[in-house]
Amino acid sequence: MTGLNRRRPALRHGWPIAVTLALSCLLLALVLTRIDIRTDMADLLPRGGTEPARFVLDQIRTGPATGLILLGIDGPDPTELARISRAMKRSLDHSGLFALVENGEQPGPDDPDTALLFRNRYLLSPAVTEAAFAVPALRTDFGKVLQVLQSSASALGARFGLSDPTGAFPALAEAWAGASSVRSEEGFWFAAGRNRALLLAATRAGGLDIAGQGAAVAAIDAAFAAARPGSATLLATGPPVFARDAAAAIRGDVERLSVISTVLVVALLLWRFRSPWVIAAIAVPVLLGIAAAALAVQAAFGFVHGVALGFGITMLGVTVDYPVLLIGHRKRGEAAAGTLRRIGQAFALAVATASLGLTGMLFSGFPGLAQLGLFSVVGILVAAAATRWLLPRLIVAADLAPVALDNPAGILAVERLRAGRGIGVAVCAAAALYLAWAGGLRWETDLTALSPVPQAMLAADATLRAELGAPDAGVAGLVRGADAEAVLRREEALLPLLDRLRAEGAIGGSEIAARLLPSVATQQARQAALPAPDDLARRVALARAGLPYREDAFRPFLDDVERSRTLPPVGPGDVGNGRIAARVHALLMPVDGGGWAGLVVPSDLRDAAKLRAALQGEGVAWVDTGAEAGAIVAQYTEIAWRWFAAGGAIAVCVLLAGTRDPWRVARIIASILAAGLVTLACLRAFDIRLTMINIVALQFAAGVGLDYALFFARPQLDDEERARTLRTLVICNLVAITTFGLLATCRTPLLRQIGITVVIGAVSAIIFAFLFAGPKPGRRAI
Amino acid sequence: MTRLAAVPERRATFQEDKTIGALTTVLHTNGRLLFRRPSRLEKITFPPAAETIVVDGSRLAITMGDEPPRSVDLDAHPEVAALVEAVRGTLAGDLAALRRNYAVTMEGSVGAWQLTLRPADARVAALVRAVAIAGRNTDVQRVDITQANGDRSVMTITPQP
Repeated sequence: MTGLNRRRPALRHGWPIAVTLALSCLLLALVLTRIDIRTDMADLLPRGGTEPARFVLDQIRTGPATGLILLGIDGPDPTELARISRAMKRSLDHSGLFALVENGEQPGPDDPDTALLFRNRYLLSPAVTEAAFAVPALRTDFGKVLQVLQSSASALGARFGLSDPTGAFPALAEAWAGASSVRSEEGFWFAAGRNRALLLAATRAGGLDIAGQGAAVAAIDAAFAAARPGSATLLATGPPVFARDAAAAIRGDVERLSVISTVLVVALLLWRFRSPWVIAAIAVPVLLGIAAAALAVQAAFGFVHGVALGFGITMLGVTVDYPVLLIGHRKRGEAAAGTLRRIGQAFALAVATASLGLTGMLFSGFPGLAQLGLFSVVGILVAAAATRWLLPRLIVAADLAPVALDNPAGILAVERLRAGRGIGVAVCAAAALYLAWAGGLRWETDLTALSPVPQAMLAADATLRAELGAPDAGVAGLVRGADAEAVLRREEALLPLLDRLRAEGAIGGSEIAARLLPSVATQQARQAALPAPDDLARRVALARAGLPYREDAFRPFLDDVERSRTLPPVGPGDVGNGRIAARVHALLMPVDGGGWAGLVVPSDLRDAAKLRAALQGEGVAWVDTGAEAGAIVAQYTEIAWRWFAAGGAIAVCVLLAGTRDPWRVARIIASILAAGLVTLACLRAFDIRLTMINIVALQFAAGVGLDYALFFARPQLDDEERARTLRTLVICNLVAITTFGLLATCRTPLLRQIGITVVIGAVSAIIFAFLFAGPKPGRRAI
Repeated sequence: MTRLAAVPERRATFQEDKTIGALTTVLHTNGRLLFRRPSRLEKITFPPAAETIVVDGSRLAITMGDEPPRSVDLDAHPEVAALVEAVRGTLAGDLAALRRNYAVTMEGSVGAWQLTLRPADARVAALVRAVAIAGRNTDVQRVDITQANGDRSVMTITPQP
C-alpha cells in the first residue's frame, strides 16, 4: 500500500537528518558553553553620557553598592525579632562572605575595627582640639570620669575613662554612627512604626562575581532558618538578591515554557507532516543559526550579553518558518529543485529583506542593539543557507512533505474571504483614529522597566532603603582629585556646607569619606596640637588637684597622647578589611585611568535642587544616575526606532529590486504596516508603555509578517499550490502564536512583554497578509 | 540554695564601697534593692550618685542621674549578664543559673554560708576576677566583686522586713 511505501524510505533515510541534528545540537552546546555570557544591564548601555555619569555608572555596575543587601525581619514580637537579628548577624559574620553586617548592635570591646579607631582616636576624632587639653576642660572631664567610676559602669570607666578622659573616642564613634535616624530598640535597628527588625549586609563578592554573591544570598537564607524564626518572615532586597531571584524566575518560566511549547509545537507539526523527522529537520537550521550568531557576536564584541542572546533567539524564531515553508511546499516524491523553483524567489526575498532590515541595528552605536542586530542577521543568513543548501537533500532522502490535501479546491472558498478587504481597511483606520484619540503611543524611559526584577520587589527595596536611611545611590556629588589626600581635603571644605544643608532640612544626612577619614593634613594638624608629654603631665596634675585621683591615675591617657604624636597618619589603605574599610572604600576610590574620586551621597533627600545648587556652587559635579540612565535609554530608544524605519526603507528597496512589481510590493508593505498599526493600537489599549523590548518584538512580528506576505503574494500559482501556501503559513503562524502566547503568561515582565507584542503582531500579520498581500479571487496576477 | 529559692520577694538596703586603683579614696554609695521571683531585680542608688537599674528577664534598663534611660540586652552582653546573674541567681537560689556563668564553690553552714564564683567565660574573666557572696539562712548579706584590674566593690546588704 501507499502508506507502507511512504513510510519505508522515510525510515531508511531518516538517519542523515538524525546525524545532522545531533551534530547541530553538539555544535550549539559547544558554542554556548564557550562564549562569555554577561548578564549585567549596564553592559547593554553605551559608555556615553557625561564623564561623571560614566564613573558613577561604573560604580553602580561594579562598586560596593552592587553587594549591598537590605534585610527586614517581620514578626509580632520585637524581643523575638531582636533575637533573630542578633543570631543572623552572628552567623553572617562567621560565614566570612560579608565585609559588613550591621543591625544596630554595638560592637564588642575586642572588635578589631573598634580597636583601630581607639588606637588612632587622637588623629581621627573631631573632638581633638587645643581647647580640649586646656586645664579647665580636663578638670570637667576628670569629674565626669569620677561619676562613671562611682556608677555601676565603673569597670568601663576604669577601662576607657582613664585613657580617654577627653572623650575623643566617643566623638569618633558618633561620627561613624553618622546621621543614622534608624529607630533603635534594645540596641537593635527597627523600622519606624512597625515591628520590623532591620539589617544591612555588604557582600565581599563584587557585582561581577555572580557565584560569590549567590553564595552570600544563600548564606542569608540559611542564617535566617538557623535562627529558628518561628512565625517571623524575612524580606531581603538589593542587587545580589535581585540577581538571584530574577535568574530563578526566568529559569522557572523558561523551563515551564520550553516543555509546554515543545509538546504543543511537536503535536502541531506531527499533525501536519506525520513524521517525527520533520521536527528534526526544522530544528537543524534554527540550531545552526543560533550557534553561528552567538559565535559571531562573541567574535565581534568579546562577549555575548544575556539579553541579546535571549532576544536574539526570539528574533531567530522567524527562522523556524524557513524549513516549514520548504517542507510545507514540497509535493510528495518531488525532487528538491522542483520545490525550490516554486518558492525560491519568495524565500530569497524574505531572507534578504529580513537580514538587510535588521542590519541597521548594527550601526546604532548602542551595544545592546548592535549585538542583537549582528546576532539576528548572522542567525537568519546561516539558517536560511542551511535551509537552502543543506536541508533539501535531507528532506528528499526522508521524503518529508505535508499530508495530502483532501480537496485542493477548498482554497477557493477560503479565498472568498478576501472580499472582506474593506473591513481590514476599516480596522486599520479605526486603529489609527484610536491612537490619535489616545494621544499617541506611551513611552517608558525608566531603566528599571527593562529590568527583570518584579515591580513589587523594587517597591519593597525602596521601602527598606527608606527605613534603613540607606543612601539611595541614585544621586551623588562627585569630588575628584589627583590622589586620595586631595579628594579628602576638598571634601573637608564641604563639611560645613553639608551640616548647614542638614540643619536647613534639605537632606537628612550624608555619607562622605572625609567625615570618617580625615585628610593627612588634618590628622597632622591634630597631632601638632597635642601637648608635649611634660606639658600634658603638668596640666593633668593641675586638673586633678582636689579630686581623689592617684598621681598616676591618668598614666594611660598620658601614654596614649604621647604615642599619638608620632603615629603615622591613617590613609585609605590602612583601615583593615572590616566595617571601616567597607564604609570608606564605598565612598573613596581610585579611578581607572588615574586620580581618585569621592562620593557625597545624601540620605533622606528632601530638596534635591538645593543640594545640587549648593554642591555645584562648590565646584562638585552632580550626578543623577536615574536621570542619566533614563536619558540614555530614551535617546537610544529613539535611535532604535530610526534604524527600524531605515531597515524598513532598505527592505522596500530590496523588494522593489527583487520583484520589479510595485503593485505587489505595495500590497506586501500595506499588509505589514496594517499589522504594525493594529498591534500598536492594541498595546496602547492595554496601557503598555513601550520600551526597547516592544521594538524588538515588533521587528520580529514584521519579519514573520513579511514571510507571510511574500508567500501569499507569489504570482502564477495553481489552486493546489495556493492551498499548500495557506496551510503552511497557518502552521508557521500557529507555531509562533503557541510559543509566544505562552511567553505572555510569564511572571517575568520582560518575557511577558515580548509574548504579548508578538502574539498580537503575528495574528494581525497573517490576517492582513492574507487580506492585502494575496491576490483577490478571480483577479489572478499573471 | 533551695531555701533561698523559697523566698518570693526580698527588699533590702545596701551600702556599696568601691576601691578603685586610680583613686585615693574609697567611694561610698547606698540605696535599696528589690528582688521579685522569678527574674526581676531593682537596684536604686541614692544621690549624689543617683542611678536606677532594673533587670527583668534578659533586659536591663539603666538610668544614671537625669540622663535618659538606656536599655541593654543581657543576651548580647555576656559580661554584664554574668554580673547580674551573680546577684540575681543567688537571690533566686538558682544554682543552675550560677553554674552557667561561673565555677561555683560553696563553704560554711546554713547559718553562715559563702559562695565563691569564678567566671567560666574568657570575655567575662577579662573584667571580673571573682565574686564572693556571704549570707545567713535565707538572707544574702554581702556581695564582694573583685575585678580583673584589682578594683573591688563590696556591697553590704541589710534585709528589710
